[in-house]
Formats: sequence, C-alpha cells, structure tokens
Amino acid sequence: MNEERYILFDEYLQDELTPGAKTDFENQLAQDPEFASQFETFKNVHTQLNTKFGIEQERQAFKENLTQISKQHFDKDTKVIGLKPWYLAVAASVAVLFGLFFFNYNQNPSFADYNNPEHASFTERSTADETLKQAETAYNKKRYNTAIPLFETILQKQKTAEIQFFYGVSLLEESHYKKAEDVFNALKNGTSVYKEKALWYLALSKLKQKDYEECKKILESISEDYEDYDQVEELLHQLD
Amino acid sequence: MGRNKIHPDQKYIDGLAANDSVIIKSIYKKFVPKVVMFIMNNSGDKDHAQDVVQEILILLFNQAKEGSLQLTCPFDAYFFLLCKRKWLNELKKTSNKGVTILEDVLSINESAHELIGHTEEFDEKQQLFDAMFQKLGDKCKEVLKLSFEIKSMEEVAEKLNVTYGYVRKKKSLCIGQLTQWIQEAKNFNSLKNN
Repeated sequence: MNEERYILFDEYLQDELTPGAKTDFENQLAQDPEFASQFETFKNVHTQLNTKFGIEQERQAFKENLTQISKQHFDKDTKVIGLKPWYLAVAASVAVLFGLFFFNYNQNPSFADYNNPEHASFTERSTADETLKQAETAYNKKRYNTAIPLFETILQKQKTAEIQFFYGVSLLEESHYKKAEDVFNALKNGTSVYKEKALWYLALSKLKQKDYEECKKILESISEDYEDYDQVEELLHQLD
Repeated sequence: MGRNKIHPDQKYIDGLAANDSVIIKSIYKKFVPKVVMFIMNNSGDKDHAQDVVQEILILLFNQAKEGSLQLTCPFDAYFFLLCKRKWLNELKKTSNKGVTILEDVLSINESAHELIGHTEEFDEKQQLFDAMFQKLGDKCKEVLKLSFEIKSMEEVAEKLNVTYGYVRKKKSLCIGQLTQWIQEAKNFNSLKNN
C-alpha cells in the first residue's frame, strides 16, 4: 500500500498543503491518470464515510419515523378491508343516534364521545425495559395516575415522540390540561408521526374543557391527510 | 429542451431528506398502493411489499442526503420502477428459475431511465463500500467511525487516548486501505464484464 500517497490525499482534502505543494499535486492530477483515479476513489470513500457516520443520528430518526408510518399504513389497510360492511353499518347507526340525540336535546358534543385512547405497545419492539413495561400496562389498564410518573421517568432517559404522546394522553385523561397541552404543542411543532394526532388531542383537550370555539379552530387546522380525518369532520359537524 | 429541469416532484425527495412526516405519509398514500399491488401479483405478499418500499425509501434518503438526487421526471414512475426492479431482483436471488426483468420501455421516458440507473449505481457503490468496510480491522473501524462522527481530530485523539499525529495517520491509511480494495474490486468487475 502506498502510505505516503494516502497521507498526501488526506492533507490535500483537508487543505493543509503549502501553495507550492498544492500546485504540484494538481499538476500530477492532470498528468497522471492512475494517480487521478486513485484520488477520485479516495475522495468517494471520504464522502461515503461521511454519509455512513456523519448523518447516522438523522438516519436513525428517519428509519424510526418511517417504520411507524409504514406500520400505520399497512395496518390500516387490513383493518379497512376486513371491517368494511359492518363498519358502515355501525357508522350509520352512530350517525342516526347522534342525529336523534342532537335533534332532541340540542346539546354540545362531549369529550366522552370521542375519548377512545389508543392501545400502547412499546415493549414488543424494544428490549424489555422494566419501567416501560409497567408504564405500558398501567396505561392500557387506564390507570393513568400510575402511568404518569412512570412516563416521566422514562422521558428523562429517552425522549421519543411515542412516549411523549402517550404521556400527553394520560395527562389529558386525568385532566391536567396545562401539562397535557404543553406536551401536545411540542409534538405538533415536531416532525414525528404524532404531529397531526397531537393536534387532534389538543382539540379534544379544549372539548373536555368545553371551550368549543378554540376546539373548532384547532380542528380546522388539521390536514385532510390525517389518518382519522373522518372523526375530525364528524366533530366539526357536531360543533356547528 | 428542459431535459435537466428539476421536476416539481422534487418535493418528495426533499421531504424524505428532511424526515418530513406529512410528505412521507403522502408517499405511502399516493404511490405505495401501486407497488403493493404489483408485488402481490408477482409471487409476493404484503410483508414483502412493506420491506421493499422501506428499503427503497432509505436508499432515497441516503442519496438525497448526499445531495446527488435531483428528480427530472415524475416521482411516481421513478419510485414504482425502483421498487419493481428491486422486487424482481429479490425473486431472482431466491428462486432457482431465472426471472427476466421485462422493461416496459414504452411507458417511461429517458430521464427516468437515467435516474434509475444513477440510483441503482449509488446502491451498488454503497453495498461494495459496506462490504469492504466490514473487512477492516477493529482499530480502523473505530478511528474512522469517530473521525466522521466527531469531525475534530483533536477530540478524536483525546477520546482514544493517543496523539493527534497518530490518529491523523491512521485515518489516512485506513481510508487508503478502503480505496485500494474498492479499486481492486472495480478493476475485477470491469475485467469480468469485458
């Protein structure tokens, strides 16, 4: 292996050669095809190392986000295909019930109508962290008061969007509005998959506090691409 | 003519590079169903489709991050063909009978062809690089990893508890080793193909 040459390549790339040595180097590049081709490969390896390690964290964040979105996309696919007929029937009867309900009493929609917090499943993916497991169990059994401090401990170690989201939901369930809204606002301003969901839960928080004006405003800012946009439309309709 | 003009669909590429969830979701919504359909009609299932799509999107992320991906054709055709070719290559690898990749030459334009060529070349280069990197000794791997993560060679030296001169030299020589192997592999391939 031509050691001197590789050291020279690196010095040239770091721009550490004296002006004279630099000119010599560039002359050799122009005249010696073998030298030039080696330098080209060396430069490419440099770029590839930079891609491999320089943006490793960004790539990890991207992969995580991608896996979430992909999972949601493919899970939803099966759900819609499998449930369609009776899903429609349920939707129709719910619509009728709502219709009757509002015609007769002209009452505002309530938080309880829309409150179906989703199931958490962190531990199937990660190596079983004890606290995480406890938090998941408590959350899924709707023991939010137990789950909240557990989530807080986890968030000190790993602040992922997923944990933040479920922490926010727990806070909302226990009516810690200010804290819950802080969490959802942070998610809303991020780039995770929970971006739109956070808006929906912000709206639900306003609904729970019976602040219908603000609730409506937030709902209107949710993108139509949001996976549960039908719920958004339904609630908007109820609020009118 | 505007052959090299950037297509408005570049927004999907930029969105992937920026890890923008709204863009990624819209890619799944608009372009992925077609890929799923194709793979399911060609001896695959949903899980295969999910994997192929994810691999291609990570490839595009890497290429976009390196700044070498400029879309000159619609994203739809480009993305679909990349997935399709990837899947057919997978099939080739696993089945004993040969699978011929039938190109629907008529349905795509020249710039899409060219772009797909670039992306696949990028992929091959990356795979060759990864294979060679794995061949390096542990010390080389560590020095290179830290050098490109931390960037300041003074800090790298401190972290490894060695002198600045040593890590600088080590870094150059390790990149040199990779350079040599990759060039040998390239020469071998061009001999094979001629």
